Amino acid sequence: MLLEVKGMKFPLDRKYYTKEGAHIWLKPEGDLIKIGMDAFAAEMAGSLNFLNVSKSRVKSGEVIGSFESAKFVSRFYSPISGEIISINDQVLNNPRKINDDPYNSWIVAMKPDNNEDGSEYIIEGKDEIFNWISEEIKRMEVDI
Amino acid sequence: MKLFNLGELNWRQTQLIYHALAYKNIESLVLHSSSDRYMCVGLHQNPRDELDIEYCNENNIGIFRREIGGGAVLLDNNQVFYHLIIHRNHPKVPYAPESFFRRFLQPVIQVYYELGISAEYRPLCDLVVREKKISGNGGGEIGECKVLGGSILLDFDYERMARAMYLTDGLKQRFLELMQNNLTTVQKELGVIPLKEEIYSILATKFADFLGPMTDGRIDVEITKKMMELDKQYSSDTWLYQRGTKQIWREIKVREGVLLLHKVFNTQKDSGWVTCEIEENRVKKVTFSNAFPLSHTDQQEIENRLVGMEYDGDKLLYRIIEMIKANGGVIVA
Repeated sequence: MLLEVKGMKFPLDRKYYTKEGAHIWLKPEGDLIKIGMDAFAAEMAGSLNFLNVSKSRVKSGEVIGSFESAKFVSRFYSPISGEIISINDQVLNNPRKINDDPYNSWIVAMKPDNNEDGSEYIIEGKDEIFNWISEEIKRMEVDI
Repeated sequence: MKLFNLGELNWRQTQLIYHALAYKNIESLVLHSSSDRYMCVGLHQNPRDELDIEYCNENNIGIFRREIGGGAVLLDNNQVFYHLIIHRNHPKVPYAPESFFRRFLQPVIQVYYELGISAEYRPLCDLVVREKKISGNGGGEIGECKVLGGSILLDFDYERMARAMYLTDGLKQRFLELMQNNLTTVQKELGVIPLKEEIYSILATKFADFLGPMTDGRIDVEITKKMMELDKQYSSDTWLYQRGTKQIWREIKVREGVLLLHKVFNTQKDSGWVTCEIEENRVKKVTFSNAFPLSHTDQQEIENRLVGMEYDGDKLLYRIIEMIKANGGVIVA
C-alpha cells in the first residue's frame, strides 16, 4: 500500500515522525525499529553529499546526526527513545542512495526503550499521513 | 532581532560568536571581519583530507571546523563576514536549503548593487557577477536556529588559498587557475575597496529592510561564557579531525558548476588517479595517471566519450571505472 501525493510516495507499511518538519519514517523489524528519511525530506534537501550519525542512547527528539546538501547542514532527529544498535554503512558512505530510494535506505536501527509508548508526533494510516503531507506541501509552496 | 556590528575580531572569535548566538537562541545579524587569516572547513570535512596542515602550521594559518556546511575556504582581513541567526520556526524561514539561501541572500545582493556591482543569485548558494563568484555562502541548523554564513569578498589571496589545500602540485596549479578565472572580488569589479564600515552599514540596512528593525546587541557574560565553552570544544583534535562521510571521490568546488574531481585507485602495481574538470556541470576534461595502464589512444577515446556529459555525481565515476576496465585498465577493489 502506497500513498502518492504530488509525485511523492509514502508507503503505508510504516509510521512517520512529523515534529517540526522532521520527515522521518519508522519501520519495525524484529526487536528493532529501522529509521530513515521520507520522500519529502529527500526531495526538499536536494542531492545529499554527507551524512553523519553516531551510535548512542538517545531520547525522542534528540539530534542523532547531520546531513548536508546544497552547503546546508541539517540535523537528523531521533523519533523515539532508545539505543542506536546499527548504522547503515552503505547509506553513510553514499547518502545519495537516500535521494534515489528513500524507503530502502534506512539510516539507523534502534532498540526502543521498554517504556517507549510512542510520541505524539508519530503518525500512521492513509488519512493522517495524507493530511500531514498535504499541509507540508502547502507550506513548502508558500516558501517558494 | 539583534544587530552585532563587531568590526574586527580575532580569527577564532569570528567563528565562535555566531555559533554561541545560535546555541543561545538569540536571533541576530552579526557583521565583522577577521584580523588574521585562517582556513575554515565545513562540518562534514576533515582538515586532514582537505588542507595542507604542515603549510598552514608553518605559516600561522589557523584551522577551524565550523558547524555549518560548505567547503574549505581561506578567510582573512580582506573579507566582510555576515552571519544571520534566525529561529528555525521563524515565519520567513523556508524548509528547503535552496529556498533558504535564495531568500536570505537577497539583502546581500542589494548590498552589492548599492556598491555598484550587479551581483545575482546562482543556485544553490553563490552570488555571481558575469558568471564569476563574488560571495561564498554556507548554512545549517545550530541548536534551535538556522544560520546563514557568508562573506563579501573585497579582495582574495588566490595563491595562498591554493597553497593551503591538500592537493598535488599539478592540481594546486589548476585549482589556482580555475579560481582566478571563476572568482572575482569587489576590488576587481570596482577598482577600489570601499571602507568596511560603509559595507557593515549597508548590510545592516538591507537586512533590516528585509527582516524588520534591529536593536544593537552586546556580547554579554552569558554569550562570552558560551563562546569560551565552544572554543574549548572546537579546539580539541577530537572535534577538529572528526571523521565524517568519506566521499567516493574528492570534490573541490570552485563555484557552482565548476569543480575539480580527483580519485585515487589501487591498480595491480601502483596507485593511479583520475582527475575530471567540470564546467557548467558538464565534463570538460579528463586526465589519467600512467598507472592503469592505458595507451594514449585509449585515454583519448575515454575522454572523448566523457567530455560534454552532464555531471551526475558518483555515477560519472562508475562510468569512468567501467571505461577504464573495458579498455584493459586494471583497478583493484
